[in-house]
Amino acid sequence: MVTKVKGAKELQDEVINTGLCTLCGACAGSCPYLVSYKGRMVLMDNCNLSEGQCYQYCPRTHIDMDAISREVFDVPYSEQQLGTFKEIFIARSADNHIRGKAQYGGTVTALISLAMKEGLIDRAILTQTSNDKTPEAVLAQNEKDVLQCTSSNYMACPVIEKFNKLPKEDNFKVGIVTTPCQGLALSKMKLHPPHNRFSIDNLKLVIGLFCTWALSTDQFHSFLMETLNIPLVKKFDIPPPPANTFDAYTSSGKISISLNQVRKYTMPTCAYCLDMTSEFADISIGAVEGIEGWNTVIVRTNTGAELISRAKQKGAIEIGALPPQNLAHLKEAALIKKKRGLGEIIKRTGDRNNLLYLGLSQQVADKLIS
Amino acid sequence: MPDIDIDAQGTTLLLMGNEAIARGALEAGVGFVAAYPGTPSSEILPAIAEVARQRGIYAEWSVNEIVAIEAATAASLAGIRAMSPMKQNGTQVALDFLGNLAQRGVGAGLVLVTVDDPGSHNSSNEQDTRHVAKWLDIPMLEPGDFQEAKDMTRWAFDLSEEVDIICMLRAVSKISHTRGNVKLGDLPTRQYKASFPYDGAGRVGGRQRMWGIPHDVQHKKLAIAREKYETSPFNRYVGPDKPELLIITSGATWLYSQEAVRTVGLEKRVGILKLGTIWPLPEKLVTEHLDKSLEVLFVEEIDPFIEGSVMELAASQVPGKPQHTFYGKRSGHINAYGELSPDDVIKALNKIMGINYQARDPAYLKKVEAIPREYAVNRGGALCPGCPHRASFWNIRTALKLDGRGGFATGDIGCYTQGLLPGGFSVVKTLYCMGGSAGIATGFGKLGQFGFKQPVLAVCGDSTFFHATIPALINGIFNNSNFTLVVLDNTATAMTGFQPHPGTGRTAMGEPARAIKIEDICRSLGVPVEVCDPFKFKETTETLLKMMAIDKGTRVVVMKRECELIRGRRESPPYKVTVSPDLCLGDDCGCDRLCTRIFLCPGLRWNKETGKSEIDPILCTGCGVCVDICPQGAIKREVL
Repeated sequence: MVTKVKGAKELQDEVINTGLCTLCGACAGSCPYLVSYKGRMVLMDNCNLSEGQCYQYCPRTHIDMDAISREVFDVPYSEQQLGTFKEIFIARSADNHIRGKAQYGGTVTALISLAMKEGLIDRAILTQTSNDKTPEAVLAQNEKDVLQCTSSNYMACPVIEKFNKLPKEDNFKVGIVTTPCQGLALSKMKLHPPHNRFSIDNLKLVIGLFCTWALSTDQFHSFLMETLNIPLVKKFDIPPPPANTFDAYTSSGKISISLNQVRKYTMPTCAYCLDMTSEFADISIGAVEGIEGWNTVIVRTNTGAELISRAKQKGAIEIGALPPQNLAHLKEAALIKKKRGLGEIIKRTGDRNNLLYLGLSQQVADKLIS
Repeated sequence: MPDIDIDAQGTTLLLMGNEAIARGALEAGVGFVAAYPGTPSSEILPAIAEVARQRGIYAEWSVNEIVAIEAATAASLAGIRAMSPMKQNGTQVALDFLGNLAQRGVGAGLVLVTVDDPGSHNSSNEQDTRHVAKWLDIPMLEPGDFQEAKDMTRWAFDLSEEVDIICMLRAVSKISHTRGNVKLGDLPTRQYKASFPYDGAGRVGGRQRMWGIPHDVQHKKLAIAREKYETSPFNRYVGPDKPELLIITSGATWLYSQEAVRTVGLEKRVGILKLGTIWPLPEKLVTEHLDKSLEVLFVEEIDPFIEGSVMELAASQVPGKPQHTFYGKRSGHINAYGELSPDDVIKALNKIMGINYQARDPAYLKKVEAIPREYAVNRGGALCPGCPHRASFWNIRTALKLDGRGGFATGDIGCYTQGLLPGGFSVVKTLYCMGGSAGIATGFGKLGQFGFKQPVLAVCGDSTFFHATIPALINGIFNNSNFTLVVLDNTATAMTGFQPHPGTGRTAMGEPARAIKIEDICRSLGVPVEVCDPFKFKETTETLLKMMAIDKGTRVVVMKRECELIRGRRESPPYKVTVSPDLCLGDDCGCDRLCTRIFLCPGLRWNKETGKSEIDPILCTGCGVCVDICPQGAIKREVL
């Protein structure tokens, strides 16, 4: 397994052109050579540097999992299905208005709004669904902005590019909502702080979303354009199992597309991901099977715990216990993703000892590859 | 440019070859000259245009060379001596007309001046137009120096009338563009009364002209020309009666041959026959000289034209005569292509005469080549600082990369040919002739049925548009070809020296002309047309992306901004541009020298010692466009 840092050309040859790119955006936004455009990472010109931050922070180039785990959690990376965490429960926003706009319980929106109100963050980088239903990274400056970003998009959005684009000289505090691969990239950036960019120390809050896979923006969007009358769609949803649909809500009702049709637009790189619950976030949030209108919440770091505590104090969220069968089911699903991901990686490399980008300790690797 | 119409017979004037040709035409009483700019011929028409009004001459920049020769022919038919100068590519454009003209005869004397570019210093290809004379059966002359450039041009008009056929004068860069002493002849005034004396079916001036002329009529005319050639003063021999080696040469290579023979001290052993009347070959004269020596070396540019003609002649000689040994391009003694120099002739003489002259130590040459690198920036071909084409190519490069379907630009002839080079971000991937970019694009645009998916942007300039692009554009529209024509309209025929064209509002003689707008022509064809300012990167790139996304039929984007050289002569710089060393990242991650490594405006330079970019205060024209490409905002512009 190659562990050294390389440059933009190698990033293109090894990741972007091989179907491994997750469109997280960590490589883009801080130089003129890598930009995201309509769901693709584009290399505008050759960068001649033999080592670049683009390669360094990519979640598909070598990651020393123990190192980033120690950086974020002070403990090494383990084979635990849900990753390192302090608490897990269910929650929803206490605010009707937020719940009305939300995908499920509105907990992400509630927490981000609160963090802003309390001055824990000044800005938030979120994903907004634009008019043509493609995702767009936005810099929210107030609660009104946050409320524009309440719905799930399911297509990959390079939010870290937005972070990288923030002015170098500024020092405002930033929160960000990410998918698991983006959490990995940000952890790499925390471990080896970037230079010539907006300081990673300004990143004060990471809320990670549960994710089984993301859809490729440029291909899935063409499919949507052929299948639906896009301007009439208000919201998308992929309800938790046992449902097997991709739903589009219009004012006249719901249109369900079989998830089997949609699955072919999954980004190829998702097959090699081991993280279903955004293990490298302060707080991870997803749906709750069988309990509509609520979120599963996993608190991982001190920062996360402080925010939850503040939210309870201010009455911003309502909290409940996660039923044991939900917890068991969640752990099972997460473990299946880990095993499947490792299986796909080993199939691709043809070598049990070459785990592509994953730098796992022998112990953890043995436990997971059984 | 000196005024070449001074009435001072016998005076010596320092003239460029092209000026001498112009003077020769004046001395012949030329009345009508039409041309299209083409290096190395471009100076001929302006030299005449300068004095045209006072001499009652009509001088015109035509839209292309075939129209130019057609216009000149009208004058000839109407009894006015006429001339059309062009470069080798122009002659190729004019060929259909020339082929017909060769059969038709002339009214008053008509001269075609074709200037070739050996080594293609200033051309997209290398071509020897002397073959045209052989192909078309017309007489051809080649001046050996500046004096002959004038004298031959003058004589060519007489020859044209005496033989009743168009005459071709062929020069090369080193004759056209270098200066030498020329003794002036007299300057007669001619009073012209133009009228076209047509009569009967295809008859003009009492003779069958326009059709029904057998080919052998031309052959008979050539025989008359050949007779005159046998005694022409333009063919000269210098050397011993029985030289060991006979050099047969013409044109600029005559000068090189003389210099070479003198340098190695072989004047007593080597004779030089310089031909000026090249086609038809003056066979008696050549045979006479072939009898002087059995060893013959041909020195000419570019092709073995005289070499081939003489060898043909020798092969047709009486059998049993002693066989010559011919040295030249066939034998490898002289380069088969490219521009020659005295050193090339010396090399051949070394080999043939068994001498060993070395002009210069090769190590010295290497030392000399290294010196400029210490003082000059190591730079490839570059567009001028402030050039709008750089901005246009930047927009094209961005749009093609973002579009992501492997699109490309097709290229054409002009300053913007540099779109092939890193200085133009190498967006241009094909290059042929004037109008070629649109022509080849209409072909690519029909390959969809074969699975072709790459977007095509055909890039052409404003002068090129009028010259040749219009038919190809209409072809694209008519045949529903999928491509976008991008016209780089800088309101100039810049590469050849800012000659007027139909969009510039002025004629060759300085008369005001209605400026024809390219976007108006395109709009009248009923296709999507957008006009952009290439300096506005965001809007222009978006427009290109939008046009590429249409992905069917022909569309046009006109990138409109004046050539910086024109603007700069008229106005002071709009901005003072500086690079802030504190903000410049230089070759660090986050920049890697985008401005001096990729953008490549000569106004920006890389300081190796400080590791930062800086503005070159002499080269920067203050256009301010680089401010918008710096990823760190380190380049600043201040309104002046």
